Amino acid sequence: MSGFDLSAILANPEYTAMLLHGIEMTFIIYAGSWSMAMVLALLLLALRLSPFRFGDPLVAAYVSYHRNVPTLVQLMLWYFGIFTLMPSGVSSWLAIHNAEAIFAVIGLGLCQAAYFSEDLRSGVRSVSPGQMQAARALGHGYISAMRFVIMPQGVRNALPPLINHSVSLFKNSSLAVVIGASELTHAVKEIENLSFRTFEIYLIGTVLYLFFSLVIMSIGAYVSMRTDPARSARA
Amino acid sequence: MTMTVPAQEQQTIRLSQVCKSYGDYPVLKDIDAQVARGEVVVICGPSGSGKSTLIRTINRLEEINSGSITLDGQNIHAAMRAKELNALRSRIGFVFQNFNLFPHLSVVENVSMSPIRVKGVAPDVAEEKALKLLDRVGLADKARAYPGQLSGGQQQRVAIARALAMEPPVMLFDEPTSALDPEMVGEVLAVMKSLASEGMTMLCVTHEMGFARDVADRIWFIDAGQIIEMATPEEFFNNPRHPRAQRFLADLRH
Amino acid sequence: MIHDMIAIVRDYWLLLLIGQYPNGPLGGLANTLILSALSIALAFPVSILFALARLSKSALLRWPVTALVYFTRGVPLLMLILWSYFLVPLMTGADVPSFVTMLTTLVVYQSAFLSEVVRAGIVALGPGQMDAGRALGHSYIGAMRFIILPQALYNMIPSIISTFVSTIKDTTLGYVINVPDLTFAASQVNNQLLTQPFQVFLILAIVYFAICWTLTHFANRLERRITRRRAGLSGLPAASLVAPSKIISEQL
Repeated sequence: MSGFDLSAILANPEYTAMLLHGIEMTFIIYAGSWSMAMVLALLLLALRLSPFRFGDPLVAAYVSYHRNVPTLVQLMLWYFGIFTLMPSGVSSWLAIHNAEAIFAVIGLGLCQAAYFSEDLRSGVRSVSPGQMQAARALGHGYISAMRFVIMPQGVRNALPPLINHSVSLFKNSSLAVVIGASELTHAVKEIENLSFRTFEIYLIGTVLYLFFSLVIMSIGAYVSMRTDPARSARA
Repeated sequence: MTMTVPAQEQQTIRLSQVCKSYGDYPVLKDIDAQVARGEVVVICGPSGSGKSTLIRTINRLEEINSGSITLDGQNIHAAMRAKELNALRSRIGFVFQNFNLFPHLSVVENVSMSPIRVKGVAPDVAEEKALKLLDRVGLADKARAYPGQLSGGQQQRVAIARALAMEPPVMLFDEPTSALDPEMVGEVLAVMKSLASEGMTMLCVTHEMGFARDVADRIWFIDAGQIIEMATPEEFFNNPRHPRAQRFLADLRH
Repeated sequence: MIHDMIAIVRDYWLLLLIGQYPNGPLGGLANTLILSALSIALAFPVSILFALARLSKSALLRWPVTALVYFTRGVPLLMLILWSYFLVPLMTGADVPSFVTMLTTLVVYQSAFLSEVVRAGIVALGPGQMDAGRALGHSYIGAMRFIILPQALYNMIPSIISTFVSTIKDTTLGYVINVPDLTFAASQVNNQLLTQPFQVFLILAIVYFAICWTLTHFANRLERRITRRRAGLSGLPAASLVAPSKIISEQL
């Protein structure tokens, strides 16, 4: 076996094209599932806080399911299970339009929404109760108080776990390879099969994942900093 | 109880046989009292007497079990829609012991946000008004700072400005200086005194007897959930009638 | 639907429970649990070593371990599994069963995460404990062994249980290298039946849910009991004492 040679992969246009496609697909899956998770998490939180009697237990059950069942099994249930139960019109449409990626987005999005909603919930709970009292004393309604006083602080409190979970979600995009999505890990495996340069391609894949994880963490740190510059303690 | 009861038309706040319990434990027992327009009432008493609870029932931060509390004739504890209660609350200023400023907003935003969002005041008008109020409490130069950068005394003055921004006819103070270091108490009391001299109707729970003596029109002494004595400052400090009031004042003189 | 699922369980329960055994290696749910338990048992001491290394004054110990921990947290577990699958046979020279590869990967992965919890637990005790130990004449290691670690690790018990739960969920990734665990067994059942994939995978989800939920519930109750007991002993407010076990409760 010839020695370590990164150019065997990087100089090869076919392989770099596969890598780029893998990165692109990883990002589509990540962006899709992250957005879905965040929107859904806010809805779940609203449902929990709403006066609707079954809101809290329903959301608790939702969170419990998605935290106790392994993510991979959730994806399998969606792609190998629910996909087959769909009416044929829908499933043929999905099959043509990259069903693997769509179900990856759905599965990961729904799962991550559970984690995000718990992060937001504990962020909101850590806002001191005096804040709500002050807002109500000034005449704010519940929604107004939530909107202008509680949620801004709650989301800020929730940023550290939200950022952590955002990085986890990114890493979890690799699970989509098991249901056949052509994302980065899939590209890595394919290139390995074709080139036999296992060490080199695994290294490239690892570096790429590390790099993008770092980017996400940096974005998170930046957002954290931007929303908190003036909250410095008195000297 | 000596002292004149304000004539009916002048009563801004009226408490009528107010009772409150936590479970089986009674906290307020048959409170009957009135506050006239422009009056400054100081509520004092030993800790655990129910004075904080009492003042918090007036803007319905605490519920009551029976009785009524009215503001200009309007029953605060009646069943009503949220919108009405919010409107009612915006007419009662409340200053908390631990300020409860909004840490994510600047000082001027703390003061202007609620007039904008609750009363629909135009942002530039609200900001201008806020800056004037901050000037009045002596903090115009801190307008763009954040609460975390201010001392306790400064924060409490901002809190007073924030409450005043809603232009309430009545201001309630729940131990406004109890959480402050001693050297900052004076600056807050000064603001409260100037408010009183401008004719604001004020109800203050406080331990600051100097303030009570200088500014209060009447003192309510509360113990174990009941108003035991209502008197003018002269009567109360020089000649307390009830033995428990006498004991309270004696303890204070230590 | 329910009827189908009951039939599947009735027909295939043995396969799901122990895999192909005795006609092959132990598999199914039994293998999942053994793999998870073994990983935690091995990861636990390793994580303590990692934590001590990260807290040590010697940069020679600190940097490599810190690098390893950041690496493990930045790379998907799937990628780590592929690395192991490639490197472990290479390094041992022998034909290594996928179980061992998976075990190695999980041990490294979980130690990295657990070491953070141990480190946080030790730091949370405050410098006073170590000061007291040194003042009494203990060496650094001695103080660690008799004073610091017993306290930190006791507080960590709920975290360890929830890491165990996490590991159970992580074992499902062994699927990509054909580790004969519960998920693999379920896919085998599916390949035989072909017509009821939804039912099969729903059963799979339910089994994992039942196990993980029970363990998490148990961990939460333990955490409450430990918090109460610790609050009584040291007089500190209860909430500050137990390192939040939520740190570890999600990796997948």
